[in-house]
Amino acid sequence: MNSFRALTLNRVRASVRDRTSLIFTLGLAVLFMVIFGLLFGGNGASIALDIVDNDHSQASAAYVQQLRDVNGVTVHVKSHAGAFSDLKDDSVNAVLVIPGGFALAAAGQGQPQQVALYQAGGDTSTTAIVDAVVANVTAGFAGRGHPSISLGAPQAAAVNQITEMDYMLPSMIGYIILFSGVNYVAIGLVEMRVKQVLRRFRATPVRPGTILAAQVAGGMLIVLLQICVLVLLGMFVFGAKNYGSWLLLIPPVLLGTAAFVGIGFLITSIAKTSEAARALAAMVTFPLMFLSGIFFPMTGLPEVVQVISRILPLAWASDALHQVMNNGAGFSAITTDCLVMAAWAVGAITLATWRFRWD
Amino acid sequence: MIRAEPMPAGVGLGEEMADIDVTGLVKRYGALTAVDGVSFAVEKSEVFGMLGPNGAGKTTTLEIIEGLRRPDAGTVSVLGTDVLAHPETVKERIGVQLQATALPDFTKVREAIELFASLYRHARPTAELLAEFNLEEKADAYTDKLSGGQMQRLTIALALINDPDLVFLDEPTTGLDPQARLNIWTVIEGIRKRGKTVVLTTHYMEEAERLCDRVAVIDRGHIVALDSPRHLIAQHAAGTTVEFARVPGLDAEILRRIPGVDRVVVDGQVSVTTRTPETVLHALLDPQAPWARPAAGDDGEGEGMIRDLVVRHGTLEDVFLSLTGRSLRE
Repeated sequence: MNSFRALTLNRVRASVRDRTSLIFTLGLAVLFMVIFGLLFGGNGASIALDIVDNDHSQASAAYVQQLRDVNGVTVHVKSHAGAFSDLKDDSVNAVLVIPGGFALAAAGQGQPQQVALYQAGGDTSTTAIVDAVVANVTAGFAGRGHPSISLGAPQAAAVNQITEMDYMLPSMIGYIILFSGVNYVAIGLVEMRVKQVLRRFRATPVRPGTILAAQVAGGMLIVLLQICVLVLLGMFVFGAKNYGSWLLLIPPVLLGTAAFVGIGFLITSIAKTSEAARALAAMVTFPLMFLSGIFFPMTGLPEVVQVISRILPLAWASDALHQVMNNGAGFSAITTDCLVMAAWAVGAITLATWRFRWD
Repeated sequence: MIRAEPMPAGVGLGEEMADIDVTGLVKRYGALTAVDGVSFAVEKSEVFGMLGPNGAGKTTTLEIIEGLRRPDAGTVSVLGTDVLAHPETVKERIGVQLQATALPDFTKVREAIELFASLYRHARPTAELLAEFNLEEKADAYTDKLSGGQMQRLTIALALINDPDLVFLDEPTTGLDPQARLNIWTVIEGIRKRGKTVVLTTHYMEEAERLCDRVAVIDRGHIVALDSPRHLIAQHAAGTTVEFARVPGLDAEILRRIPGVDRVVVDGQVSVTTRTPETVLHALLDPQAPWARPAAGDDGEGEGMIRDLVVRHGTLEDVFLSLTGRSLRE
């Protein structure tokens, strides 16, 4: 077998067998999805509803009260603009609009009226529950002597509603790129140096560049394998969806992986022991994890922090992944992201190769 | 396949040419000179030992010859090729076992052999090596689950994977139990029987005495003696050594005045070298001697204060002691 392939295979196989490290990368990513799934994906435990009351009558107030009385439903009466802004932000599940003339219709006079329910597409289980709850209350209201009131056909709001899982999947891809990319190469390569494995390889005729290239390639393959597993779990177990092109995910995933493998590689030129490599890797990965929009959108972060995280590659990886998967963005939307990651990858790997110490 | 090799340094000498030719080797680490002007030659098919305590410069010398380190001065020719100029050519034809295990994690025995096989142009079949080194049963075990002896057999197998003419073994039996050590000795004797040249480092005397045709005694970066074990013992360990536990009041000066004493070394214990052991023993065990009387406050059991007495004939240990004034395992 060709030396490069054999060395790369050895690296990948060893990493797959290293269960402890897998727990901290793939395992934690899955755990985060489970936690967020339990927190937000729950089966109808709570429904948040904004109501736009265009009638301001006693009858509409009574109708709102009946909705309010349903267990697990939180109701706020809002202005039209306020309600639809909440829907856009995902802070409510649906908006219900009560038409003017509601009281007249309820009294059996004037035109029959329909209340209109606006839901974003996306999480189908929640959509169905909201539908059922509102239809039930409306039917009950009409049944008690208000025959002309009915629920209009469900209307999808013009918002691409993303579920927590849809948001978490690209985030966790970013998490794996960050943690696996940095840790596997940083710690793995330093350990090979400390245990004289690198020295042993160098006692064979294999070229030094081949040894290093195989480590970098092996590191990238481990990350990509974990991403494949995560995406499959995310889609088939957690019901996350990709609104964009799978093909377009390849450039940010590859470049992001190369950038972080490069940063891990760079750590090996500084760290003398595997403990030092671990500590340095933690110093790089943990702040980045919280500062780069993988758990929550960066818009919530202070200005200064945003500037810092704009320099580091994870924010760009996270942006590109979310753009593609959540917003269905095209390549033009992620070109800058990809260029920044490519610059990091080339810079880090070049510098690390130049500074590499064999012992 | 025949490849164009760089012109061997000693072309024309034919079989007279040494497998290894080292001249004036110097390696410094900051203020420390680890190897200080070492020169020697290793002939074809000989087992050449490098004997010395830890830090003597054995491993550094070995690693320079293997092409793993660059010397600050000196020349190294291995199998007729200048190592410093063509390390890859040399590496294709030598086998190396490092002092450390130096195997990647989470790798099985068979996988390790296949991995190293892929690093050479020509490699022996994995099954053949597994059989030869009695590792067939362990072929699918992870390398970190091997016993010390199995691990050494594996690392030696890896050193022979390219069927090299010249094999370097760095402390092949350090840390092994006596039986495993004996087993490795048999393995090394097998390598020699196939006409391969072996260079090994050790700090075990019995090992050097049993395996090596010639031994270089190394201390503080210098070769202090180089000869066959028998000649070294005859030359530098002439006579008998009497060893005993240190006795208060019996210092080296007093001992040196005993007739027949050639040399006295006091470290962990007292070693007295002599060619007339009867006279010296008589003097040492004389009940009238000052050191035979218990000191004031002693518990009184002190008849003959000399304890743990051992009398033995010369070994390489004595050679080292005689050449450096220190024992090997300090």
